[in-house]
Amino acid sequence: MIGLDLHELNDIAIGTAKALGVDDAVALSAKGTDSMIRFANNSVTVANRVEESELTIYLARSRRRALASTSNLQSGAVKKFVRDLFSSMEGLPESDYAPLPARPNRFTPSSTGYDRKLESLEVELPEMAGTAIAAATASGGKRSAGVINAGKVTVAILTSTGTRGIDSRTAITLNIRSFAEKEASGHGLSCSSSLSGFEPEEAGRRAGEGAKAMRNASEPEAGKYTVLLSPTVASNLVETVAGAASAFAVDAGTSYLAGRVGKKVAARSINLSDHGVIKGGLGGRVFDDEGVRTRSNKIIEAGVLKGYLHNLTTASKWKVEDTGNAGFVAPHPWNLEIGGGDSTYGEMVKEMNKGIILTSNWYTRFKNYRTGEFSTVPRDGAYLVEGGRITRPLKGMRMGDDLERMFSSVTLLSKDREWIQWWEVDTPTLCPWMQIGGVTITRAYG
Amino acid sequence: MQSQRAKDLAETGVSKAQAAGATYAEARVQKTWERQFVLKNGEPQPSFFAEGYGVGIRVISQGALGFAATNDLKTTSVGELARRAVRLAKASSGLLKHRVELDDSKPLQRKWTAPETRKVEDADSAWLREVLLDIEGRIADERAGVRLPGRLLYLGAELEERYYVNSDGSRVEGRLPRVGFLGSLTAVEGSATAQRFIQQGETGGLEVVKRIDLVRKVEEEARVMGKILREATKPPTDTLDVLLSPELSGIAAHESVGHPQEADRILGREGAQAGESYLKADSLGRRIGSLEANVSDDPNLLHSNGFVPVDDEGVEGKKRLLIKDGIIKEFLQNRTTAKEFGLRSNGAARSVAFDREPIIRMSNTYVEPGDYSSDEIIKEVKHGVFFKTFTEWNIDDKRLNQRYVALEAYLIERGELKGLLRSPVLEITTPKLWGSVKARSKHVEFESATCGKGDPQQGAPVWHGGPETLLTGIKLGAR
Repeated sequence: MIGLDLHELNDIAIGTAKALGVDDAVALSAKGTDSMIRFANNSVTVANRVEESELTIYLARSRRRALASTSNLQSGAVKKFVRDLFSSMEGLPESDYAPLPARPNRFTPSSTGYDRKLESLEVELPEMAGTAIAAATASGGKRSAGVINAGKVTVAILTSTGTRGIDSRTAITLNIRSFAEKEASGHGLSCSSSLSGFEPEEAGRRAGEGAKAMRNASEPEAGKYTVLLSPTVASNLVETVAGAASAFAVDAGTSYLAGRVGKKVAARSINLSDHGVIKGGLGGRVFDDEGVRTRSNKIIEAGVLKGYLHNLTTASKWKVEDTGNAGFVAPHPWNLEIGGGDSTYGEMVKEMNKGIILTSNWYTRFKNYRTGEFSTVPRDGAYLVEGGRITRPLKGMRMGDDLERMFSSVTLLSKDREWIQWWEVDTPTLCPWMQIGGVTITRAYG
Repeated sequence: MQSQRAKDLAETGVSKAQAAGATYAEARVQKTWERQFVLKNGEPQPSFFAEGYGVGIRVISQGALGFAATNDLKTTSVGELARRAVRLAKASSGLLKHRVELDDSKPLQRKWTAPETRKVEDADSAWLREVLLDIEGRIADERAGVRLPGRLLYLGAELEERYYVNSDGSRVEGRLPRVGFLGSLTAVEGSATAQRFIQQGETGGLEVVKRIDLVRKVEEEARVMGKILREATKPPTDTLDVLLSPELSGIAAHESVGHPQEADRILGREGAQAGESYLKADSLGRRIGSLEANVSDDPNLLHSNGFVPVDDEGVEGKKRLLIKDGIIKEFLQNRTTAKEFGLRSNGAARSVAFDREPIIRMSNTYVEPGDYSSDEIIKEVKHGVFFKTFTEWNIDDKRLNQRYVALEAYLIERGELKGLLRSPVLEITTPKLWGSVKARSKHVEFESATCGKGDPQQGAPVWHGGPETLLTGIKLGAR
């Protein structure tokens, strides 16, 4: 730390802001440590350790609002930073504004989502990486690449209305990709908020088996297929649905869910929630950036859009209750959850007459966020299913559709669910396997 | 520029790392400053200001690479950070199968700055807001001939100052000001909608906004969206010619030439995230395109968004001829990969912040200009489609299978531009695309973009661009 603890930093910042005569002020100070080991071709490529602290300040005066962050955390520097920010508000225009809650809150750390064993993990990571690589090799992968991240973040809040609190989270994740012959590759993930839930061997095994199964893959015919999406692929799409449920995206014209509250936007089996804190969740905290207590919010219930994610300003504008999802500018989800179904993976495969199983994807890009039209590129394990059984591995394809049509065409969900967070999924998401009918698969010309 | 104290800290980092057992050490003290303003449908959002200051230390010890970073800039803390980087490297060496070695790039002493006329630090909230209000005033209330109920406008000014030192003797100090715009426009006409994301940016000061004619550009983009919604028709499905605009030439050059020619991908180092490459270490000299396929990456283009005259390993950035006359000539290299290839680095290592290790990145990637005027190259087309701007795009992680969905596109018949087309799709393999290049115009333009790579992610500012590029014998996809 820089000499001051997080509460001291907040006290200095809010004390300075109040003396300047602001209407509202929030200080959020955060300290994070992150240890990482990366490997490729079964060999370590780099070991990283980052320790950072940051102070974020929000000020409002006469409906003028400003936001700033700094990593220069000496006492004098913080006071000057707040004074400079206040001065910069002089020329600002009035904007949408909602005051902070007048009644102060006190937040104590959540009892879930924190494991002391992950606090100082550092030199142990190479051994864990070795375990994953060995499991991948034993399962058919010839060379593996991946990354293990272990980290802790603590955030403290103080507002000008007296709200005060602190919360911490830990997480450890492994993303491993194993390669067999030529382009054959498989993918494995393990994501956990505790060391006991971390399974590098299992992730390595999946990656190795996937690579082995992908040997001699060929391209599918373009057309409509039933697809079976792994939790990894489904989470990537679920995150875009939750992004579209942010009131900011709706306002900005970048949401296909605009004007759909109370309407059917997905199959009846789809239940999507966001949780500030949830057992096993790798993200979130007990308070949001505005000092409002986070909670569990139903976004989609039985296929019907229940509401948007809000901060104080968007909630005031929409005349609805704040959902505890600030972001000072844009509300955002903390930990997403899709309810499970009653199928096993094996049953879902058997139900497919002409289908494709996708285990990983990347590069999801939208033609139009307002309509939800997008495409994404499958990678690693992908398999053709004919008559209820896997017949061959596939490569060189693209999945394109629109989000509402896809989520309205979900036919089965698995009982088993997994926490997913990796390169292509920022928001931790608890997600089942998802079977969807009539999805467009294309392939490149030439 | 950096204070003497910052320079002393960097020197401390290197000397302490060496004392702890590093056979090589480097330290980069980096200071960032940024100011942003956002208008959402004309409503001001909270103005944003950020400053960051920290040090990253990278070492080699027992043949392994360690990197540690902090914003705790006490001398004792930086010393501890250096020892930690060495400890990490040593601890991971047990899992090491390929020792990390560096090329023999000569130590460099240089102080550089990107030119600016009006200091970027003068970009206060009022100035940023005025620029955005000027744009807003031209596109709100159907002033551009189209209803735009979704208008998200962002303007930012930023400054990066870095001081780099390594144990080989390099001492490099750089100053990089930049101004960038992002806009998301959603147009509605009846039940139809169209969406355009506009990114514009250059290195330089406040003069950038006028130099790139930002306000007029955004207004023109809005005007065209209305026409697309009213006039665009279904694209043809037969085999035809495709004329790529500078914007499309650029994105194709970036995605299917620049990325697969990053040496770290080729060697498998990005395998778990950004992926590998369809190319192998022995692909240099392989034909991948027609004689007209010429693609380069140049970090020294004045005002460019990817201006990197010296990289974050203390190596001067050189123009890279990626594809010359259809032949793969050069990969993007850092000092580690260059050593493996038996070469010298061509200065492609970049880091976006003090807490990120430098990795191989593109700078300004573009199709080289040809001989045709823009009019002449259109006249070459008997039956084709002109892809002028794009929305959705993606590519597989080996960079072989790519897709670009046009927003503004025109039918070309007998050498003349005809009507607008609705969302034609170019979904094509890399060898087919570059093997189909028949001609290039003289007229080169660049677009700014943020290139994603690395873990943790590092969004690097780049340009991509080129001339109008003519492809023959193409079958379009459909959306």
